[in-house]
Amino acid sequence: MDSSSDEALDIIVTNVVATFRTRCHLNLRTIALEGSNVIYKPEVGKVLMKLRKPMITASIWSSGKIICTGATSEDEAKLGARRLARCLQKLGFKVRFSAFRVVNVLAVCSMPFAIHLIDFTKNNRPIASYEPELHPAATYRIKNLKATIQVFSTGSLTVTGI
Amino acid sequence: MSSRVCRTCGGSDIDVDQARGSAVCTGCGSVLEDNIIVSEVQFVEGSGGVSSAVGQFVSADGPVKAPLLGSGFHTSVGKESRAQTLQNGKRQIQQLGSQLQLNQHCLDTAFNFFKLVVSKHLTRGRKTEHVIAACLYLVCRTEGTPHMLLDLSDLLQVNVYILGKTFLLLARELCINAPAIDPCLYIPRFAHMLEFGVKTHEVSMTALRLVQRMKRDWMHTGRRPSGLCGAALLVAARMHKFRRSVKDVISVVKVCQTTLRKRLTEFEDTPTSQLTIDEFMRVDLEQECDPPSFTAAQHKAKMQQLEQELAKKLDEVEGEISCYKNEIETELEKSRPKLRGIYAAYAKEDNREVLSSPSEPEEAEGEDAEFQAATQHLTEDFLCQVIQEEQGRGTKGDHSVSEQEAEPEKEEAGPHRQVAPLTSILGKLESAASLSLQQTFQTTDTSEPGDQSQNEELDLEGIDDQEIDKYILNEKEVQVKTELWMKQNAEYLKEQKEKEERINKEKEEGTYKEKKKKSSKKRDQIEASTAGEAIEKMLEKKKISSKINYDVLRDLNRGTGSPSRSPDHTPDTTATRKRLNRRRRRKTSEPNQDLAANTSIMGKSSAPQAAPLPVEEEEEEEEEEEAEDECISALQLVGGQSRF
Repeated sequence: MDSSSDEALDIIVTNVVATFRTRCHLNLRTIALEGSNVIYKPEVGKVLMKLRKPMITASIWSSGKIICTGATSEDEAKLGARRLARCLQKLGFKVRFSAFRVVNVLAVCSMPFAIHLIDFTKNNRPIASYEPELHPAATYRIKNLKATIQVFSTGSLTVTGI
Repeated sequence: MSSRVCRTCGGSDIDVDQARGSAVCTGCGSVLEDNIIVSEVQFVEGSGGVSSAVGQFVSADGPVKAPLLGSGFHTSVGKESRAQTLQNGKRQIQQLGSQLQLNQHCLDTAFNFFKLVVSKHLTRGRKTEHVIAACLYLVCRTEGTPHMLLDLSDLLQVNVYILGKTFLLLARELCINAPAIDPCLYIPRFAHMLEFGVKTHEVSMTALRLVQRMKRDWMHTGRRPSGLCGAALLVAARMHKFRRSVKDVISVVKVCQTTLRKRLTEFEDTPTSQLTIDEFMRVDLEQECDPPSFTAAQHKAKMQQLEQELAKKLDEVEGEISCYKNEIETELEKSRPKLRGIYAAYAKEDNREVLSSPSEPEEAEGEDAEFQAATQHLTEDFLCQVIQEEQGRGTKGDHSVSEQEAEPEKEEAGPHRQVAPLTSILGKLESAASLSLQQTFQTTDTSEPGDQSQNEELDLEGIDDQEIDKYILNEKEVQVKTELWMKQNAEYLKEQKEKEERINKEKEEGTYKEKKKKSSKKRDQIEASTAGEAIEKMLEKKKISSKINYDVLRDLNRGTGSPSRSPDHTPDTTATRKRLNRRRRRKTSEPNQDLAANTSIMGKSSAPQAAPLPVEEEEEEEEEEEAEDECISALQLVGGQSRF
């Protein structure tokens, strides 16, 4: 796997997942009734709130833990998380912004050539594994970076990890 | 034997006789040991004059302590947990493997894998079923047998992706490199199932060639091999003049119609499809195709490019149009009467406001009103703070968190609900509202200079408060939404209420258990002498549903010739309660086995049922209780019922 030398391969970060805690109990029903873009799921016990400006979906639990997904960069994730906390504050909760942590980042990249997955897996055993019955891509795991790369036969790659 | 020194004479010449089991000093003749443990093989004469060696074989990785001599019949008693696990695993492997028709060598290899897995503690937290299936699949892959993961998941009724996860993990941990699946392996198997008769071999050969062609055309990377096989077999069958429809093929190959059709269309796009049958058998085209998803993506990219160019052209045209529009507007402005005096200044201010707040054009209109409202709000806010102060003093003592002690202005749980409706009543007073909250914030900030670095407080930089307030509904909207939500979730709310009531009642009675989920009551064992009696008792106990054909059951009873009929007078309430507590039963194949299993599952009877009642009466009762009328055969009944 060598990157092409002529043109720069651009990696696009498509998703950043972050969590933070509000350190106060949140009444999900209040949020559900007074927010204008929320989905309440009482069976699971959480509220989904979507923000427009950084395009973010947040899962809010009553314990005060919030997971924020959909941001396109880490700063955006932080901004969105702060916005969200602000919104909750306005709804009347004693919100504090603590333990903000980026949990997962997903990026996509595309090779200009197609990849023969079976040979690729053979040459990179046991780091790479390919199971066509389960998933069309081969998974390549880098242990020290804790990253997982999914390689598709069309040449596109998805990189996930912390 | 170690040479020891004699105690009496000090001589070291000791004669050990293995047969007699004694150690004697040859110098003085004193016996040093009697009854030495001998390690000779002894023979015993069995029935019919057969001599057999005395002793048991003990495996190397078996139990540490030797099995008790004399209780040799119960070999599973007293073994260690590890041995039990392995034995259990072996049994399950044998069972599952025989269903897949694997030979003994494969099963032994699978058991070896299982032993490795157990020794690496990978079975923890996983169902043994899944682990067994993964071991078997590993063997299938390494041996190259035409078994798919789908087959295993069909047998176990488990989601194939769950099995796949376990399989991948095991393969990684055991460092076993399973060779990649070749679709060519599956072809003979599917060809057999499609029943081509004499020509099976020829059709298989053709299909093989097709698959190889597909491989070269990059159709097979990233796809399920069974789908490719299905397409190849369909084409091969048609080539040899067998009529196999898509439905036949998909029932054998286990893919869905859409997939098969897609493969066929993809194959159609390759140049090989243009060849005639004879040509195909003889010639192999040189060129290779790109993978179909690659071509699809390129197609998409081209379309996008075209769209972009179109959009650009549109923009240019639009630019011209907007130029004209602006000119027209300026002309109109000039011709409009001008406002005089204060109002002119006002109008200009309005425009400025519009420019400065792009997201809130409505604000410009209400500016005047806003000032008034803002003053009103400030007074209200002051009142609000006063209320909070009062409450703050009252509840000050209750706060355990040290940060909040000094701040009466800090919002607490009580005044939350007060503050929220106040702000919503006042309508769109975004800036003022945020100002008030910011004030409370700043006061709390100043009180804890040390905590700044921790930064648990919200940093308001870069947050557009106006936009955030759009996310909060005003009171009218809240009412509407509340109504809607209540209506929508009426059922759920009702359930919650009932649950609460139930819990409260039980609390009063003192029988409230914290975790009601995992209370599994032990069923009573039914003691019955015949199968028929067992059925009767089970019926009484369970009062299963009307989905039972009682006539057939009765016939069964009569067929087996049960002497006594002893249904009981159990009141309906207990019956319903037992119905609620019923557990699911697994399906097993034979009815008799199931009957026995059922009776054991049912549990001990509380009191042996004595008074006989005609069975019909009871059945009538049960039928009255239920409304449905479906009848099923007795076999299905004993196969396992779990519904009310």
